[in-house]
Amino acid sequence: MMNVFRWWWGILLAFSLLAVLRVFLPLPFSNEIIIFSIYTMGCSFLLGRVGFISFGQPAYLATGAYATAFYLYYFGTNPYIGILIGILAGVLISLIVGPLFVRLRSDYFALVNLALAVIIFYMMQKVLASITKGDNGLWFLTNIASTPILDLSRPNHFYIFAFLVALAIWAFYKYLNDTLFGACCLASKINEDKVKFLGYSNFKIRLMAFVIANTTTALAGSMYAVYLGFVSPEMTSAHRAADPVVVTILGGVGTLYGPIVGAIAYTGMKDLISGLIGNWELFIGFLLVFIMLAGEKGIWGTLEPLLKKALFRKNVFKPER
Amino acid sequence: MMDTQLLISGVIFGLSIGSIFFLMAIGLSLCFGLMRIISLDQLLYYSIGAYITYTISLVTGSMWQGALAGMVVAGIVSFGVERFIFLRIYERDIAFTMIASFGILIGGVGVIKSIWGLVPRPVPVPMVTQISIMGTEIPVYRLIVIAISLLVYLGIWLFLNRTIIGKAIRAGIEDVEHVEGLGINVYRLFTTTFIIAGTLSGLAGGLHAPLIMVDPQMGLEVMPFIFMVVIIGGLGSIKGTLISAFLVGQVVSLGSLIYAPLAQMAPFAIMLLILLIKPTGLYGSKLLKR
Repeated sequence: MMNVFRWWWGILLAFSLLAVLRVFLPLPFSNEIIIFSIYTMGCSFLLGRVGFISFGQPAYLATGAYATAFYLYYFGTNPYIGILIGILAGVLISLIVGPLFVRLRSDYFALVNLALAVIIFYMMQKVLASITKGDNGLWFLTNIASTPILDLSRPNHFYIFAFLVALAIWAFYKYLNDTLFGACCLASKINEDKVKFLGYSNFKIRLMAFVIANTTTALAGSMYAVYLGFVSPEMTSAHRAADPVVVTILGGVGTLYGPIVGAIAYTGMKDLISGLIGNWELFIGFLLVFIMLAGEKGIWGTLEPLLKKALFRKNVFKPER
Repeated sequence: MMDTQLLISGVIFGLSIGSIFFLMAIGLSLCFGLMRIISLDQLLYYSIGAYITYTISLVTGSMWQGALAGMVVAGIVSFGVERFIFLRIYERDIAFTMIASFGILIGGVGVIKSIWGLVPRPVPVPMVTQISIMGTEIPVYRLIVIAISLLVYLGIWLFLNRTIIGKAIRAGIEDVEHVEGLGINVYRLFTTTFIIAGTLSGLAGGLHAPLIMVDPQMGLEVMPFIFMVVIIGGLGSIKGTLISAFLVGQVVSLGSLIYAPLAQMAPFAIMLLILLIKPTGLYGSKLLKR
């Protein structure tokens, strides 16, 4: 029991903080943060655990979002089924492109993913314009039916749902980090020859990680679709390609709480700074350079040792009292 | 079948676009070959070149002086960036230099926005005369752009093969540690290469400015194409970059004659195909991580 508690307390603490944030922050902002941190989680896992930097996460985001949108616009009304379809689409696309992509070196991987994002952008904007309505996007907010227990068409209920999903995803990734598979991922990032020597297949490990990470991203996409009730090709444009990478770095690469911290910091800065001066990219850009120069640890990566130190001291002195 | 006049103007258009791509991609390619960094900030020097061209041509009325000034300013900015930022992160993993340079790019775009504003600016075409090739009217300016890029290729080739610094750079692309062992200051080589790359990107921006509107996002708009050129050609190879730049230019230009939406997508499909057959690009060598 104690073990389970120790395993969980970090997640519980983080999420109780997130729940407290809900009270102080406006609802759209909290929803944005939650979805954005799910979106970033996949990228953070890829970058921190497997060593793949992906500039093409919007491709998977858009896949999930459009799959959900197609369902809700043309076929059904139940948002849960829509999200499920989004997840399936995510699994499907990562299984199709994964075997081709994970063979590539890390630098080519980043570029190829960007290319995929551009391809999907033009597909949604031009080639499939007859069903995606091109730049106008699909609007289906009124199509979403109210569901019995958690009504996803209402933002405050949606927040609870998003919160639970995020909690589940965090628990899943924490579990994953502790399993053999998580260790294999890290090993294949650090020294792939040794992994091969130990009898594991780098290809399989990476493919698995790729599928898991991008399914998470697709889930975030379908949640965006349900939350906003609208999708447009703009979400996969090249301008936004680096958002998840920026947030990952901002929060701290490969740390479990980095994505939450990064998402809060990024969304917060976007809102605050764009209110003060016109171009917040200026600030984000220089912050990014500063973080890279300061040792690429990010906000959470810098805070974590300090927090641990503070908590650890308390724990040491408690029994003696 | 396509009309010959359309075809000829399409080919010339593709070649001129390819020339611009080549001038920018060569910087990325050289930086990757020698320093093992992916320098996304080349796109910033491209925008800077274009904006300086706009400003100078507004003041003096001559676009050529503007392009020259753009080159110089882009070179100076790239020198500053290399000194203050890249010198500290050469040792890091390639992904991290990529992120840092992306940060420089976004920050720089922010600076450009605050200096010149968000409105797209037109730059007048310096030569409006047209010559006729096989009955097709071709703007002379596009031919000059192609000629300049070929001259740059020749110049780079001579520089890399005939001068001692160029030879050291080529040796560095093969094996940097051995070059260092010979007593050559590799960091000076890095700086030289970076300035060359930045200057050429500035030139690309200056030459491209009259053909399009100059706006703050222009760097991000060409980014996917430059990536593609570099990947198809193989990171680190000059000849590969030239060939793939013209290939991509032709695909973009001729593709738009056949089916417009395809023009933007086809190059990416080609890139995926080439990478599947040959994961290092057309002329890329099997570069190992340092």
